[in-house]
Amino acid sequence: MSDPMAEIRASFFVECEELLESLQDALAAMGDGEYDGETINVVFRAVHSIKGGAGAFGLDALVAFAHRYETVMDAVRSGQVELSPDAVKMFFNAADYLQDHVRAAQEGDAAPEGADECLQELEVFMGMPMGAEAEEEVSDFQPMGLMLDLDIGELDVGETVPAKETVFTVDFTPHSALFVSGNEPLHLLRAIRGLGALMDVSLDIDRIPDLDALTAEQSYLHWKIRLAGDLREEDIREAFDFIEDVCDLGINREAGEEAPLFSSAGPDTTGQNPSRPADTQPEDSSVAPLTDSANTAPPKVMSSPANKPSATSGGAAGGQKSGSEPSPTVRVDLDRIDRLVNLVGELVINQAMLSQSVTESGFPPNSAVMTGLEAFMMLTRDIQDSVMMIRAQPAKPLFQRMGRIVREASAAVGKEVRLKVEGETTEVDKTVIERLSDPLTHMIRNSVDHGLEMPEQRRAAGKPSEGVITLSAQHRSGRVVIEVEDDGAGINRPKVLQKAIDKGLIAPDAQLSDTEIDNLLFLPGFSTADQVSALSGRGVGMDVVRSAIQSLGGRITIQSEPGKGSIFSISLPLTLAVLDGMVVSVSGETLVVPLNAILETQTLTGADLRKLGPNTNVIHVRGEFVPLYDLGAELGYRGAMETYEGCIVLLTAQENGQRNALIVDQIIEQRQVVIKGLQQAYGHIPGVAAATILGDGQIALILDPADLVQNATGYTRSDFSLAG
Amino acid sequence: MSLKVLAVDDSRTIRDMLKLALLDAGMELHVAEDGVHGLEVLEGLEPDAIISDINMPRLDGFGFIEAVRRQEQHRATPILVLTTESAPELKARARAAGASGWIVKPFDPPKLVKALHMVAG
Amino acid sequence: MTRLVLDPKLDLSKVAALNKSLLAAKGDDLEIDAGQVTLLGALGLQVLIASAKTWRDSGQTLTISPRSEFFDEALELFGVTVDDLQSTEAV
Repeated sequence: MSDPMAEIRASFFVECEELLESLQDALAAMGDGEYDGETINVVFRAVHSIKGGAGAFGLDALVAFAHRYETVMDAVRSGQVELSPDAVKMFFNAADYLQDHVRAAQEGDAAPEGADECLQELEVFMGMPMGAEAEEEVSDFQPMGLMLDLDIGELDVGETVPAKETVFTVDFTPHSALFVSGNEPLHLLRAIRGLGALMDVSLDIDRIPDLDALTAEQSYLHWKIRLAGDLREEDIREAFDFIEDVCDLGINREAGEEAPLFSSAGPDTTGQNPSRPADTQPEDSSVAPLTDSANTAPPKVMSSPANKPSATSGGAAGGQKSGSEPSPTVRVDLDRIDRLVNLVGELVINQAMLSQSVTESGFPPNSAVMTGLEAFMMLTRDIQDSVMMIRAQPAKPLFQRMGRIVREASAAVGKEVRLKVEGETTEVDKTVIERLSDPLTHMIRNSVDHGLEMPEQRRAAGKPSEGVITLSAQHRSGRVVIEVEDDGAGINRPKVLQKAIDKGLIAPDAQLSDTEIDNLLFLPGFSTADQVSALSGRGVGMDVVRSAIQSLGGRITIQSEPGKGSIFSISLPLTLAVLDGMVVSVSGETLVVPLNAILETQTLTGADLRKLGPNTNVIHVRGEFVPLYDLGAELGYRGAMETYEGCIVLLTAQENGQRNALIVDQIIEQRQVVIKGLQQAYGHIPGVAAATILGDGQIALILDPADLVQNATGYTRSDFSLAG
Repeated sequence: MSLKVLAVDDSRTIRDMLKLALLDAGMELHVAEDGVHGLEVLEGLEPDAIISDINMPRLDGFGFIEAVRRQEQHRATPILVLTTESAPELKARARAAGASGWIVKPFDPPKLVKALHMVAG
Repeated sequence: MTRLVLDPKLDLSKVAALNKSLLAAKGDDLEIDAGQVTLLGALGLQVLIASAKTWRDSGQTLTISPRSEFFDEALELFGVTVDDLQSTEAV
């Protein structure tokens, strides 16, 4: 086993992520005007827990920052200062810096720049004492392991030097409250004995009445303890640390030293209290040692100490909004899950091979072997789904990060932007989430920078000056669709077209549809802003976004309406490991087409075919014309066929609704295939998503129909007969 | 004598650290994630001492301690409060709820063990 | 002769009951069994000392036997002897 502290440290940072997430949630709720106590408490607790853990690992910068944040939030919690939308915004900013601080602590980097300024702004805004004071508090809080609230630090220095054979007399008179607080003199005396000095204890037995006069839970106890040895007063005092407020304590040093040494230890340190009648001790005295004036308290004050705790009950417990029951969880190393995913992948392949050989062996359909095999296949599928579920995570943390991007980006360009988030509980494969972060960040920046107008332009257009960016996630027909929608001006198509022509990306006389113009944004090196702004001038274009999405087996499309805004949709496979596919053969090659891309299959007759251009054809399907692609020719297996009469076509659909017809030679079967990525070896191959191993051990390419069509020539034989 | 301790803290990190510190000292540790959970774990357990955080969801440390003290068999069970604050008001409130002592986070394991022995023998 | 077996854990939560049992045993010689005691708290000690006084006053005997190791260790820490808790010589 590795170093346990290192493990705890690692798990601390995992916990920080969770805490930061709940912090974001609560701040978002505040942003929506929820200023209730529990929401504020959640913020407070999250920051507080980060501080507590950070302290354990000596992450001083993080502790200091969290402490100041927490102090401001505590003032809010106690009602000293009030929340406002502006205040929430500042808390949000500070939360971003808190996140940076956590990262910095994790990586061992220097504290993030600007964090202190941000915090100071918040403190000033909230009318808090300045940072200097707060920092002082931190140093007060930090270095102590066990709380020693003893005031002995102010004693003369000589006292801290261990003295040989010092003799102390300790007068110890526990109040009844000492017992109510769960303390026990027995343990205390044992601890004092543990100091190593010679100990002589005597109990003042005469103070204890006889049984008839005794009240069981009242204390009549008084001890005189003599300690002789090599010890310091602090050691003794430390033993009484927890109970100084529920006992009378006098510590005197003998051996001719000038008498009371402890002027700071409380008013009654001389041990004179034995003269006081025992039964006059105020039972409910929760304050420190008695003064002489306390003697005038009426005798027999018997407020039952047992009831005391209930006096304050209700307050802390009652106000709590009961949170949702935490469901028990186990933390597992991701490597183990990935191994499991791989093994299940192998299982699927293996099962396919087994099915094939069983089928070839010619067992009758209802034989025990066949039904057993069917059950086995269902089981395999269940296992697969369950394993994939382990890897699935809600999109929420990803979306929360985008909240920050919006805040930073809008501040940088001086726009007012609100981020609306929908479907953040939608679960997506962990790897997909991780790899979506960069492209999504860029898309959000893009929407802030290019999509939304400046406030004055918006007002001029009759829109609210605050722009809205909606980030949503949902499951749609076996895929995850993530959309970034803005209510901006929409894509300025004439401008885009002009730019593409200026840059020589397209021919000046090209006739492009709206969708085609929109897709120009994805061409390498395209930028629509007249000047490169602080945000998007980073050399990353939408082309990079698109290839990142494609590397995840996903696609990105644009819908835009002038004056109303734009929607960028990313469609992703649910998992990176398995897909349902249709196995087809083209020119002797076996290929897999993802089933979710296929609408229907059809055998062509001459009547379905229409010639469109010299080399392109369409087919007529229920009143619509669909472009025809010859797969064998597009993939370079052979030339275009002589005739398409009697050919089989797969009708596929893209996210944007566009349909295509792909010609194949033969449909072999429909089955689940395990995706084996190609990109590490080959990079992105147009039209090909990945590869798989089939039941017979053969390797087959998995096609990406939409990508294939995008890059296709559309070349289908020009001179085939249209007759029929 | 090995002590049986119940520790209630919503931070996994702190729970892990407590586990490490107390198991090393040969103590038996039971953990809970918040006050409500703590009361559930306490059921049927006779700990020699309880360690409780203050800021927790569902039921905070004050409420938890009060609830424990209301149980006859736990009126004298030592309860140490784990807190990051050293504010006297906080101590006074914890005391009023029935706490036996305080430990400041981050805690030093030997001192925590010593504090436990101080209140629980 | 009455016999009283002490609870293993004599802390705040048990002293009231112990007090009651002892009051009920008044008027008779008493033998207290402290053989199972694992914790003798200061309040428990107090009740036992008070009883010894009462028994002595009434001239009856009160003895504690057997005593556990914990019990004896506690007496030592509290700075008392077992005689402080007993009434051995009838007056």
